[in-house]
Amino acid sequence: MDRIATGVVALARLSALIATLMATLMLSAGGARAADEAKYPATWKGQWTRVVHREVEVQGAFDQTKPWGLGQQAPLTEEYQKVHRQSMEDQKNGGLGNYPTARCLPSGMPRIMTFGYHEYVITPETTYILLSGSDHLRRVFTDGRDWPKNPKPTYGGYSIGKWIDEDGDGTYDVLEAETRYFKGPRAFDASGLPLAFDNQSIFKERFFIDRNDRNILHVLTTVTDHALTRPWTSDRQYRRTAEKVEQWPETWCQEGNANIVIGKENYFLRADGLLMPAKKNQAPPDLRYFTQAPK
Amino acid sequence: MVGQGSRHAAIIALVIALVAALATWTAPAAAADAKYPNWKGQWNPVLPAAVADKRMSFDPGKPAGPGQQAPLTQEYQKVLNDSLADQGNGGFGNDPTALCYAGGMPRMMTYEAQEYVITPETTYILLGGDDHLRRIITDGRDFPKNLNATYQGYSIGRWIDEDGDGTYDVLEVETRGPFKGPRAYDSTGLPLHLDNDSTFKERFFIDKTDPNLLHDVITVFDRALTRPWTVDKTFRRNADPQPDWPERYCHVTNNRIMLGNEAYLLSADGLLMPTRKDQPPPDLQFFAPAR
Repeated sequence: MDRIATGVVALARLSALIATLMATLMLSAGGARAADEAKYPATWKGQWTRVVHREVEVQGAFDQTKPWGLGQQAPLTEEYQKVHRQSMEDQKNGGLGNYPTARCLPSGMPRIMTFGYHEYVITPETTYILLSGSDHLRRVFTDGRDWPKNPKPTYGGYSIGKWIDEDGDGTYDVLEAETRYFKGPRAFDASGLPLAFDNQSIFKERFFIDRNDRNILHVLTTVTDHALTRPWTSDRQYRRTAEKVEQWPETWCQEGNANIVIGKENYFLRADGLLMPAKKNQAPPDLRYFTQAPK
Repeated sequence: MVGQGSRHAAIIALVIALVAALATWTAPAAAADAKYPNWKGQWNPVLPAAVADKRMSFDPGKPAGPGQQAPLTQEYQKVLNDSLADQGNGGFGNDPTALCYAGGMPRMMTYEAQEYVITPETTYILLGGDDHLRRIITDGRDFPKNLNATYQGYSIGRWIDEDGDGTYDVLEVETRGPFKGPRAYDSTGLPLHLDNDSTFKERFFIDKTDPNLLHDVITVFDRALTRPWTVDKTFRRNADPQPDWPERYCHVTNNRIMLGNEAYLLSADGLLMPTRKDQPPPDLQFFAPAR
């Protein structure tokens, strides 16, 4: 009897323990959520800017370790090498070349990740990359969704990501993202280094903090694009601003933009608003829609 | 037997204590997070069906421009009248966004596809217009000195649990300059003061009877006004859990240019066009005469 009674008491205590455990877990449903959210890195906060190797380039090249333009040694197809050469020739003559950003069109991917100050806001469903340049922001969806069926092409593309705990310490340390569905034209840099005009690029990125320097963020970017003979990878790096950020800058391309495109020609706008040629012996704009003769 | 029972009791007590300790350890973070409301999703401005004028306006319950009945000073009433007259004559009037300049505050809050990303330190309002986003700082800081002028101003906010249920339900925000300008409330050129010294006070909250309706009650203090002007802007949550987030860049579609003091249009084939009858063409004095 004693043994049975002891067993009953032990069982009752075990039941009480299980009930307590369950109640505790239920009460801390928020705790479970918090534990889940705690898996996301808290160390990506702050303001990040592109690492500039001044001895090499300051123009915002895709590969930060090589000069912009031809110096990038991009694996362009012959067709797109020609596009690039023509762009640089046009620029030498005062034109804008294959560089849409010169007229305040968005850079899009991958140039969107070049300039300004970046902030990463991480939630379980989405990682937001807030940009302070003329391009707005990126949403990297991490909620497990698949690609949309009828996506609207955009300059920034549509990004789906996945967080990975590579070192198994319970906290995610790598964000892998894939980005598709683009608008164009887009260029890698200001020389007009082109992406294919079919806008079918695919970008694969690995975002992670440097193991030896927590103030360096890597974005290992691989571009697959029909302007390239093979995928092109660059380890793009960003440094965290050391000072406390009081105010995030606001950038508007239109402010100070002196480029005006009329027809197929670009012109300069003087400070007093008068139109100026951008090229030697450039013809004035076609005024066929005006009834009066120009001054 | 008693000894064994005591050991069981001791083990059970220890396990309970450990579980309680674990719960206590995770609870503060959870509690802190739980205090912030769920405003997730895509929010779009509510345009009352009764208002025939579908141009985005500051007070969505009234037509744009004079229909807003803004309490403008006489001086700024004239700025609005001049803007309307210029627009009637083909010009852009006092509407800087016509040339792809920023809308700034408060016009940026008329944009569609808004998203509220709430963290303890900052509430981000991501906007589907050319003005990208607002950062509302909620980390307890005071307004910094020596701010750079921006179109959106500098916003400091405070979360309030008004009904005492343990979850914040109101975000109170004050936005100050120095602002950049010019800024207009809407496309008619309804002006804010050119001194760019406006202050905005906002209360963001979910409607008590409709969890999919967000209010932004904005009060503008501005020297172009005879008194503070308050408007209750409302936004409806998109029912689609994976909505399309539009990407808008003014320059992609803009066909308006300003040369000197004259407004012109670009035709579909990119050629320069007048915006009014008998408008003179632009001054081309810097071009070599045609041979």
